[in-house]
Amino acid sequence: MGKVVIQVEELSKVYRLGTIGTGYLLHDLQRWWTTTVRKQEDPFFQLPGTQASPEPGQALWALQNINFEVKQGEVWGIIGNNGAGKSTLLKIISRIIRPSMGRIRGKGKVNSLLEVGTGFHPELSGRENIYLSGYILGMSKAEIRAKFDEIAAFSGVEKFLDTPVKRYSSGMYVRLAFAVAAHLEPDILIVDEVLAVGDAEFQKKCLGKMRDVAQSEGRTILFVSHSMQAINNLCDKGLWLHQGKVKATGSAASVVNDYLTSAQRVQLKQSWTDPEHAPGNENVRLQSVELVPHLLTPDSPLDVRTPLTVKFQFWNLLAGETSLSMGLHLYTYGGELVFDRPTSDRLCRPGLIQAECTIPGNFLNDGSYYISFVITRNTSVDLFRYEECLSFDVADYRGDYNYYGKWVGVVRPNFPFELKPAEAGIGHYQSLSS
Amino acid sequence: MPIPQEDRWDWEIRPQTGWWGTSLTDLWTYRHLAVGLVRRDFLLIYQQTILGPLWVLLQPLLTLITYVVVFGKVVGISTGDTPPVLFYLAGIVLWNLFNDTFTSISSTFRDNAQLFSKVYFPRLIIPLARLSGYLFHFGIQFGLLVLMLAYYFLFQSLPVPNGQWLLLVPVAILLVSTISLSLGLLFSVLTAKYRDMTYLVGMGVRLLMFLTPVIYPVSYVAEKWRWMVQLNPLTPLFELFRRALLGHGVVSLLTLGYSFAFTMVLLLVALLIFNKQGDKLIDIL
Repeated sequence: MGKVVIQVEELSKVYRLGTIGTGYLLHDLQRWWTTTVRKQEDPFFQLPGTQASPEPGQALWALQNINFEVKQGEVWGIIGNNGAGKSTLLKIISRIIRPSMGRIRGKGKVNSLLEVGTGFHPELSGRENIYLSGYILGMSKAEIRAKFDEIAAFSGVEKFLDTPVKRYSSGMYVRLAFAVAAHLEPDILIVDEVLAVGDAEFQKKCLGKMRDVAQSEGRTILFVSHSMQAINNLCDKGLWLHQGKVKATGSAASVVNDYLTSAQRVQLKQSWTDPEHAPGNENVRLQSVELVPHLLTPDSPLDVRTPLTVKFQFWNLLAGETSLSMGLHLYTYGGELVFDRPTSDRLCRPGLIQAECTIPGNFLNDGSYYISFVITRNTSVDLFRYEECLSFDVADYRGDYNYYGKWVGVVRPNFPFELKPAEAGIGHYQSLSS
Repeated sequence: MPIPQEDRWDWEIRPQTGWWGTSLTDLWTYRHLAVGLVRRDFLLIYQQTILGPLWVLLQPLLTLITYVVVFGKVVGISTGDTPPVLFYLAGIVLWNLFNDTFTSISSTFRDNAQLFSKVYFPRLIIPLARLSGYLFHFGIQFGLLVLMLAYYFLFQSLPVPNGQWLLLVPVAILLVSTISLSLGLLFSVLTAKYRDMTYLVGMGVRLLMFLTPVIYPVSYVAEKWRWMVQLNPLTPLFELFRRALLGHGVVSLLTLGYSFAFTMVLLLVALLIFNKQGDKLIDIL
């Protein structure tokens, strides 16, 4: 690995909450009067670290004291939750916004691709848009002309180059837009979450193109994505931002793993020692609910492969023998019921009752889920319902499967499904063609 | 001896924005973008209209008819020895250049907020492209004026303008464009920061027209009140434009010098403020 091409030093970006720039001429004049003329503190805002830090709630630290160095030819994946500051960081490196403190120094030409189709105009033809968006991204006329055919071929919409892009399907639009961007030749390329659009084949093509650019041509890439799969496949280095601060840097694989393990917003266990204060009623009271993931190693994330066991314990307070059953409801975070699994009826005496259910691995899709349950008497009378007693996140894992878009569906069962030549079909085809 | 790495950085991003902003080489790199934007705007304005680019001519023609009827006949403002048609058309064409350029540049940041927040290029490209676009419109309208002039020279025995004076026509056009660009740059920053300014631009430009000799000649204004009109740096330029083409107008070295000095100072201030504020504005758009 070569020389350092981007050096980020003590970079911070702070936003004043409310009306940034105050919005009123009168306020700004007042600020100017107090700060510049009378040399006093800004009545509306003070930079932290000077004298008085802004009170919490007045300022938003989009980025706080970020330091890192990128060497030539490295591909960095930047990850973090929404609002972690990823886009702000890319915008500062792209010269779109200014930092509040610190500095960035770099070498070579920087191009950024923060949005697919920047500068595209729906009324203009594909051809016009290739030129216009090329110019906006910093290409010269000669450069675009030289690569025009290549761009058109990459996009796969050659036939429609003279049609206004407003008549394109959204897939064609994205393809054309990305094709222009893919033919940029900067020393440093900055890419923000653009793989979320487009179909599988095209995504593969784009990632392939980016990988070529990075490996064979020695370009440096900074890449933001929510697809851990793409980060793992494409990047050597990872940068994890959390609430504006660097939480971890290092090899992409280890940063991704740390991120997935911690990012899971989970309520894996609830238990109550005192039946008086446990959720329930005069019929039943909860003792504990617990979700046990069967992880490969203790620090690996809970992903689509992980089998999960849900354990319940409750006190049956009903006198005599009662016919009880329980229903386990698994919901997606969006509130869609994935399944309802009831137990069979069982005659129970007063005391602690337990139940256990195992959801196999390779069954749930990635995403957030929660569990509710209901305890029933004689199959039909609801004794107690408890909504959202457990919640968990399932991380993505795709192995060798090269698709990086959101895998749709509520579940992702691993049923046997593959292609092979049908013995009868070969003869049939031969007879057709001969 | 290896050179310390720190000495070889190509670029540096700091919190402070410079007064001088983009360098000329930076602007030159993006010259194709400016041309592309002019082309786009021209294609877009007339797409799906029946008359297409004819609107560039129709607008001043319709305005001309209105002015001739209202100010010439109904109100009865004297245009001196100049035929009213030529007098008004010259005023309209030059005023359009100022009005359109200034108004459109003053909304640079608001119109392009989306684009500016996604990609970096020298922000000055947009105002320059807009100015070029309207200069192109002006060229077409000026052609109409020249045709009308030719008609009057040939068939109405209007005296042909003096060659030396004609050389001053580009000067008037250049200074008017510079004023509209500079004012536009200043107000683009102001309208991005303070929304109230948008209304001021619309209203101000309409009121300014009455302080500019568009619908009346300066010679028509009573001596007592003439200073009010002459305080406007556009006034000598409009008079110069008419003097050069039509042979009548109140022009002196003093008033022209005032216009020139005003324009240069305004341009400098506007460029400095636009560069200093431009990068910061993205945060509040």
